[in-house]
Amino acid sequence: MDWRRDRLPLRGLRVIDWSVYWAGPYLSLMLHDLGAEVIKIESPSSWDPMRTVIDVNRGVRGTARPMTPQERSNVNQHFNEWNRGKRSLAVELREPRGRHILLDLVANADVFIENHRPHVKDKLHIAWGDLRPLRPSLVYVSLSGYGQTLPDRNAMALGSPVEVASGLFSLNGYLNEPTPAKTGFSYGDPVGALTALSATLLAIREARRTGEGRYLDVALRDALAFGIGAAFIDWSMNQRERPRRGNRHEVYAPQGVYRALGEDEWVAISVRDDADWRAFGEALGSPAWHSGAAFATAEGRRSGHDEIDAQIEAWTSTRCARDIEIALQEAGVPAAAVLNYRQLRRDPQLNARGMFQEIPHPAFGLEVRSASLFERGNFPQPIDRHAPMFGQHNDDVLAGLPGMDDASIAALRRDGIIGEEILATGD
Amino acid sequence: MSLDLRVVEISLSAAGAFAGRFFADAGADVMLVEPPAGHALRHEGPFRDDRFDIETSAAHLHMNAGKRSLVADIAADASDIARLIATSDVLVTDARASVLDPLGLSWPALSAANPALLMTRVSPFGDTGPYRAYDATNIISMALGGQLKITGDSGRAPLCNFGAQAQYQAGIAAFAGTLANLLLRDATGEGEYLDLSVQDVVANNLEGRSLTFNLGVMAERAGLNVSAVYGVYPCADGWVFISAFAPALWEQLKIAARIPELDDQRFSTQAGRLDNNDELEAIIMSWTLSSTSDELRVLAQQGYPLTVSETPERLLASEQWRSRGVARTVAHPHAGDIALLAPAWVGGDAAPVRPAPLLGEHTAAILGPLSRAVR
Repeated sequence: MDWRRDRLPLRGLRVIDWSVYWAGPYLSLMLHDLGAEVIKIESPSSWDPMRTVIDVNRGVRGTARPMTPQERSNVNQHFNEWNRGKRSLAVELREPRGRHILLDLVANADVFIENHRPHVKDKLHIAWGDLRPLRPSLVYVSLSGYGQTLPDRNAMALGSPVEVASGLFSLNGYLNEPTPAKTGFSYGDPVGALTALSATLLAIREARRTGEGRYLDVALRDALAFGIGAAFIDWSMNQRERPRRGNRHEVYAPQGVYRALGEDEWVAISVRDDADWRAFGEALGSPAWHSGAAFATAEGRRSGHDEIDAQIEAWTSTRCARDIEIALQEAGVPAAAVLNYRQLRRDPQLNARGMFQEIPHPAFGLEVRSASLFERGNFPQPIDRHAPMFGQHNDDVLAGLPGMDDASIAALRRDGIIGEEILATGD
Repeated sequence: MSLDLRVVEISLSAAGAFAGRFFADAGADVMLVEPPAGHALRHEGPFRDDRFDIETSAAHLHMNAGKRSLVADIAADASDIARLIATSDVLVTDARASVLDPLGLSWPALSAANPALLMTRVSPFGDTGPYRAYDATNIISMALGGQLKITGDSGRAPLCNFGAQAQYQAGIAAFAGTLANLLLRDATGEGEYLDLSVQDVVANNLEGRSLTFNLGVMAERAGLNVSAVYGVYPCADGWVFISAFAPALWEQLKIAARIPELDDQRFSTQAGRLDNNDELEAIIMSWTLSSTSDELRVLAQQGYPLTVSETPERLLASEQWRSRGVARTVAHPHAGDIALLAPAWVGGDAAPVRPAPLLGEHTAAILGPLSRAVR
């Protein structure tokens, strides 16, 4: 892809994004990166909770004063990461005049995104059936934990619970242990967002060809389950539960995560076949424990995996993870330091591909943001805009609507239909 | 939303295989190029009755469903495949450029022969940068993408999640990125090349990285339980996740559990619940241990702040999935009737996908017309 902005695939496409937290905003971020114009819809009485709920930035920097919710709402680093490049309209959807503004925007939009609890869009009369008559080509995307259908539609759907309900949790865990394990984050959200991105692009193409839009009911659980679909086939073929696999692999042996030199430092090593095993031994200086016939075959290495692990860890634990990675990769054996986030920021490969860029934000100062995923190769696309301040683009967005002038915008502001501050009380 | 496209897939791992699977479910004709020994996933398992059989590996049956199979030893001679790509719309691969370029399957060569070709490469580290010659399996991509370090118990080794999760994430991104390029091609008629890196995708999907980069806050491995009101509990026949971290959710939990001990004054505030965490945990556990998954699931469906851990067995039998058409039963000549999941965007109205092909099942059908055309 030649990532000059005027050639982006979704140039000219308009997205109305009424979504919160992570999955929906991540979807619209990727649509933005592919060239779409994204208008983020919030309300002064009901903002994206990501602005305030996960509060790790309590103090005003350089002072001891705690931040007010209004101040926090524009500097939250979760929010600012996943909402980069969008424009913000803060309008009361519960007010008829506010809802009417949304309908006017939808009449000229291509995609509408929401991920509220399933009944909320019905209550506000902005469900697919309400919006479709205004714009027959509209692609309406609902992201939810379990889908819009009963009996599960009302179940709680944050990223971690959804993972528990997907089967992934039940299969995940340390080697042969009875207790399952969670992924370390809200994994359902990014997997759901990428899945919804695929569906949205398919539906956009269909709408361009037929003029007909589509309703997309994407469930995070279903997206998580698809990633482990082999386990569902295994169950249907064999009807048996299997011991947890930990860091081992069905074919590659040995494979594991081994202690390296330093506090909480680890290295991952994956020996795929006999050739890797021989190269691995040479890289270690051909120790006696490695050269025996017992470990010459994958079968033998699987039987002796515990013993091999102990020998490997004796070697790795006195060496730096990065040094091990380089030595083994040069020998052709897949190996890697297990990076923490600080190390990730300095990773030469991610940096060479232009992942990280620093841009100024009016309330926070210089922020590190991540560039578009889809153009890290040859044409790193400069990040053009920070995440919007709450209601930052109220005037710009409204000025494009029919019958709107300075006086009517001022009246909307006066009547509290639009606003530039969240209506939070307390802290 | 059917894609009338011819897609050639050269995949060495789940990353390319997942991308191809999505194309198959979207209606494209996906032609999987396999080495004579069969695709890597055919060797992975688990197998029917645990007997090695390249036709019944579950990983293969899932990720290669709906594709056609042709066998070609491209390391020896890739000219047939180059001709096939010249008459196709898409080439999706996870093989590094250093592997395919010497075989005549480089982007410049393929695009010269077919200017409308869309080529997507989702390799471990992409085409550029100092690691471009590095090799990776799934666990290596998890390590260098940052998702490995945050998973598992504090004080123990980081844990790689079940399944080929790094490659799954990359496979979806490769499919989506190719669709975006397809929209470009619809407008211009010209082909496009997409260079994706599995490491980039994994790092891109990290939740809290921005807090570290901008605030210095580090993510740590937290294991199962953050606190008594946010974590996993055993129940009579499985596990349940309790997520009553906010005051309103706590009140909901009390209604759901209906045990008087939770009304104790000590637990009436957030601070009190934290101060008496261990006692609270014991009380909640006595309730969960006396409840079955079925009982707890009814409460979850009413919106109470808990989630039952489901297994493949339970999900396949669930009313929710039956109504959504998530899983279909598909007959496979070697594996029998298997449960095949559909991508989350397919929904009940899509045609069921065909089972995975037998090794080389379509070699003659795919290459025959090409060799006739050459003659």
